[in-house]
Amino acid sequence: MNQKLVNILLVEDDEVDVMNVKRAFSKNNIKNPLFVAGNGIEALEMLENQIIPLPKIIILDINMPKMNGIEFLKVMRENEKLKNISVFVMTTSNEDSDKINAYNLNVAGYILKPLSFEKFLTSVATLKNFWQLCEM
Amino acid sequence: MEESLKNCQEELTALKKEYDEFVYIVSHDIKSPMRAISNITTWIEEDLENGLSEDITTNFGLLKNRVNRLENMMNGLLELSRVDRMDLEFYEVNIPKIIGNCIDLFNSDPKIEFVVKANLIKENVVTLGAKLQKVVLNLIDNAVRFNDKVNKKVSITILESETDYIIEITDNGPGIPEEVAHKIYSIFYTVNSKDVVDTTGAGLAISCKIIKLVGGKIKYTEGIENGSIFTLNWPKNIILKS
Repeated sequence: MNQKLVNILLVEDDEVDVMNVKRAFSKNNIKNPLFVAGNGIEALEMLENQIIPLPKIIILDINMPKMNGIEFLKVMRENEKLKNISVFVMTTSNEDSDKINAYNLNVAGYILKPLSFEKFLTSVATLKNFWQLCEM
Repeated sequence: MEESLKNCQEELTALKKEYDEFVYIVSHDIKSPMRAISNITTWIEEDLENGLSEDITTNFGLLKNRVNRLENMMNGLLELSRVDRMDLEFYEVNIPKIIGNCIDLFNSDPKIEFVVKANLIKENVVTLGAKLQKVVLNLIDNAVRFNDKVNKKVSITILESETDYIIEITDNGPGIPEEVAHKIYSIFYTVNSKDVVDTTGAGLAISCKIIKLVGGKIKYTEGIENGSIFTLNWPKNIILKS
């Protein structure tokens, strides 16, 4: 079967968390092209100016400098070209207010960054199943 | 007079704001580097894969265990700080059912025997259900977790007075030495080293704060054959100070 792998954009400011995602991808044998933006403003720039191919999935951190995840989501949902991208929020925040804000902006999932890499691997493996559906 | 009252209120508002910020920092900003330490440790271990001496493997295990403990402590601290601000919904609960739900969490272990006796006229009450469940679960968890016997026994008696529900939880564990019994409600205090029973030591501190919030009481007494007896008085009518 010749599947076309969807592009994924990771919006994350912490270098170790970026490594975490890359490592989890490789461990789960996820070969989707992964692009990285360091904050909301950088991500919007990449998307609006088509610096990267339009991703189908965005993995989004909440706590970031310059433009945080929730602010980024708000802008994104108002943009005709970008509003239909599936967004997975990935954050340390277990605050109800952050979760509600995210779900109000129509996110596909909320992943709590766990302390252990092993637990993160499991979360990413679950996501892989969803992404494969997007590729069909 | 009015002026000083206004100053006090302003100070209180500022303090509350500072406190909220502090809690937020603990829950987010400090957690990220901690997670990084944990993750990088795992990666180094993976990358070295073969050729690790027993000592190094043990030390990796210790390192991860301690970071884990740090996270649990931070979560405990956060939970303690949020006792009077979260889960404050009143709803109707059935007291024996709440106890039963807590016990169900341990029932898969055949080495734990639970005996529940209830003598209640009014089983249902409108209360802070989530809080009551939290306290009961913590007391039962302690009765099991710190129990050093192969066959663990936990007895729960539920009674009521005119004003309170009285829940007594008795176990056949080692009990608490008299000289440290007054310390058990302090956060992070554990009777034994945390290496003996891996625990955070936040549960009783959180429970105690909840009980204070609702105007209840908790008392520890030594059991007849060692063991511990915790007696919880949970008021039927809770009035929260705004």
